[in-house]
Amino acid sequence: MKEQWRLLQTGSGTAFTNMAVDQAVLVVNSQGKVPPTVRFYGWAPPAISIGYFQSLVDEVDIGACERLGVNYVRRITGGGAVFHENELTYSIVVPESHPEVPKNILKSYARICGAVMKGLRQLGVESEYAPINDIISNGQKISGNAQTRKVETVLQHGTVLMDVDVDKMFSLLKVPNEKIKDKLIADVKQRVTSIRNILGKEIRFKEVAEAMKMGFEREFRIELIEGKLSKEEMALAKKFEKECFSIKDWNYRR
Amino acid sequence: MRFQSTYKVPQGKLLKISIEFDEKNNVIRDIRITGDFFAYPEEAIELMEKKLRNTVMEKERLQETISSIITQYHIQFIGLNAEGLTQGILMCKP
Repeated sequence: MKEQWRLLQTGSGTAFTNMAVDQAVLVVNSQGKVPPTVRFYGWAPPAISIGYFQSLVDEVDIGACERLGVNYVRRITGGGAVFHENELTYSIVVPESHPEVPKNILKSYARICGAVMKGLRQLGVESEYAPINDIISNGQKISGNAQTRKVETVLQHGTVLMDVDVDKMFSLLKVPNEKIKDKLIADVKQRVTSIRNILGKEIRFKEVAEAMKMGFEREFRIELIEGKLSKEEMALAKKFEKECFSIKDWNYRR
Repeated sequence: MRFQSTYKVPQGKLLKISIEFDEKNNVIRDIRITGDFFAYPEEAIELMEKKLRNTVMEKERLQETISSIITQYHIQFIGLNAEGLTQGILMCKP
């Protein structure tokens, strides 16, 4: 019999709730109170997340975000700034001791990205892992991923781009040199793609979620059982949202 | 005075460093290490910043200090390493 993990489909949330829920699941899973968990979610309103080590004011045009109603949040994971709009975001939380998760961090990135790649294949999108933390299709980025390990537990979250608006993205992110902004945008347009670009048609969140569910099940030889956040996770998520992710001190700390 | 550098670590990530530099004594007074790299545990970067205060701005000294902090606190970098960090810091020098 296959091991059963929990699947959470939490729909679209604010940047602050989204990051708080990932951390709450990490903490409660580390206490052995909930099974390993895969979660799919979206972002409403659209948002920018920045890596733990990034400077918010260096990376994000705060004024543009306010004008366009885009949230911004610092992640607990490293990596770069991401504009989240038309995408499926996954997170996976699993004990470091789990036999299916490589102890080596880079190897574990590759393994978890393997689940996303199997999901993409299900949709007819061929892709490959591009170390350190990207998945590419036809040489263009279609997924970015970031992992942390805390209290002997792995949390990795990542994006699966359903559609991408590079111009909008760059109206929200700061560029090091305004003079070459146009060239930079042109370069990024060459380097980023989406499921829509590859398949030439719109795709629904639900279809992507179905495919990703299968991808994770096959990669980790598990069965995903749809479940809910526990009461404790919900309470903890509220606390993290209120005391950390929605707070200036956290988001501006670097 | 405050000085900054942006350095793409070879085969790694983009490192952005800002330093409060005491030019007279060639010493780092304060440092902020930012960028899109990964470090485990994440909190180690704040520790690294603290430990680098009052370090002489000199290649061997910097690399030695950084390497010993990495070893002592079991820090794992991805997309960054002691050489890259040293280089980024030195590039702040006016």
